Amino acid sequence: MLIDDHSEADLVTLGHVPAMRDYLADLWGRREFAVVVPFNDVRVQNMNTKLGPLWHVINPIMQIAVYWIIFGVVLDVSRGMDNYLGFLIVGVLLFTLSSRVLLDSVRAMERDEGLIRSVQFPRALLPISAVIEQTMAFVPAAGVLLVALLLTGEVPDVSWLAFPFILFIQFLINIGLGLVGARAGFAVRDLSQIISHVIRMLFYFSGVIFEVSRYVEDPALLKFFALNPFYDILVVARWSLVNGELLVWPVLGFFAYATILPAVGMRFFVKAEHRYGG
Amino acid sequence: MSDRIPAAIIEDLHVSYRAYEDPKRNLRGFTMKRHEGLRQTRVHAVRGVSLTIYEGETLGIIGANGSGKSTLMVAMTGLMPIDSGSLRVRSRPRLLSVNAALRPAVSGRRNIIIGGLALGIALAEVTERMDEIIDFVNIGEAIDRPMRTYSSGQRSRLGFAIATMSPPDILLVDEALVVGDEEFKARSQEKIDEIVKGAGAVVIISHSLPDIRENTDRAIWMHHGEIAAEGDPNEVVDAYVAMVHEDREERARRDHENGSAPE
Ligand SMILES: Nc1ncnc2c1ncn2[C@@H]1O[C@H](COP(=O)(O)OP(=O)(O)OP(=O)(O)O)[C@@H](O)[C@H]1O
Ligand SMILES: [Mg+2]
Repeated sequence: MLIDDHSEADLVTLGHVPAMRDYLADLWGRREFAVVVPFNDVRVQNMNTKLGPLWHVINPIMQIAVYWIIFGVVLDVSRGMDNYLGFLIVGVLLFTLSSRVLLDSVRAMERDEGLIRSVQFPRALLPISAVIEQTMAFVPAAGVLLVALLLTGEVPDVSWLAFPFILFIQFLINIGLGLVGARAGFAVRDLSQIISHVIRMLFYFSGVIFEVSRYVEDPALLKFFALNPFYDILVVARWSLVNGELLVWPVLGFFAYATILPAVGMRFFVKAEHRYGG
Repeated sequence: MSDRIPAAIIEDLHVSYRAYEDPKRNLRGFTMKRHEGLRQTRVHAVRGVSLTIYEGETLGIIGANGSGKSTLMVAMTGLMPIDSGSLRVRSRPRLLSVNAALRPAVSGRRNIIIGGLALGIALAEVTERMDEIIDFVNIGEAIDRPMRTYSSGQRSRLGFAIATMSPPDILLVDEALVVGDEEFKARSQEKIDEIVKGAGAVVIISHSLPDIRENTDRAIWMHHGEIAAEGDPNEVVDAYVAMVHEDREERARRDHENGSAPE
């Protein structure tokens, strides 16, 4: 039997890592998914509760209250800071955003197993959508954050203008964390159990409740802290909102992670592209 | 036949599963640790299959339970690592299998949107075609209930409708249509004809031999992971039926001999 060479030439071999360019183009073609689906997921999240969508506002308020009572009043770790409450609010809310991204992404591939098995699409769409979902759910929390800061007596200055930009950079870091988390969580199911303990550890190493530079004197050790992207995010955000000190290493880390993590994460994720759902 | 354009070329494909064999347990077995006493084995499910699938054809696959039909299909989607051989396709085949629920917790209507967007169809187009799709699915009010509450036929209707929202180059149907009623069988057959006319290829696994005879252009018979026969559906089905008969007679004869002949 004769087969036309020309037609056979455009068959592709499956199971190989797709070319990054094509893959990204494929992803871009699905951008509507990454907006519409997360938006709806956020919208219906608390539908079965009495207060419904109000929880997106109540939750961050309660969170601030709980941390304030424990660390501000009972334990008093403020060490005489000017606006410890403001410092705490920024730390708690932004840390929560990125930790939720980690928590969600390790379960992302399992959660949408049915979708993976039913339709063909670039799988990175799932962790990216999970990050976008968390980002959308953060919008009301960001409102709470700003109002709460004003209530603590913080006066908005020029550096507040940098905050949306900082959130965007944090979003890029989150995309990277999400991609890495998704593949790792897919490969090792137990990770979804371990991850909550990792996050608890990170909580203390990120200076959510205390200012690291007040406790750590050794500059070499401070550099070590800057390896933690969560800490870098908090340092930069606090500079913007509550006149925190702008330290060199965390700032470098912040931008480095935002450029490196998404690229490395994407490569890492795509390597297992044909295994997801299996 | 030189004008037939291949949509997929499979050459000497081998696929196996890694599995733990759990031997019969005695009392001591219950006190063992989880992996002690479990033997790791390989189940060689597809053993050297070569097959070319052409544009514009419907190919039927028949064969006994466990003969490797589903494994071959899953391997064709690239979702399973293959041991050896090669697998080239026009574009990644779309697999439709029974019991696939996209997002079990959300309504059929939301699933249509999610599935359509994942396939890369614009939201405006999905919304525009919603009524037509819901009409095709035809499951009444159930369309607004969570997909996990669906009967298997309802689930298969929705799954089929979503998977064919944009015409696939290669559609693989693993028994997903057998749970449908007569009305849906007719509708899905129309859809399949449409895909085939548009130069797509459709591969159907079915235990319903009359369906294979009637609705496919070519058939293969899988036996112990290999292709036992390939060609005209009627001939392949006849060969398969003849083998099954022979097997049963052989078995009956053996049972009879064993039963009547004293030691
Ligand atoms: N996940 C798995 N792990 C180990 N062995 C498996 C697995 N899935 C299938 N098998 C084995 O591979 C072989 C082929 O299975 P497959 O599902 O491809 O058969 P099939 O032809 O589709 O059968 P059926 O007609 O019952 O659907 C069988 O022996 C089966 O036991
Ligand atoms: Mg099967």
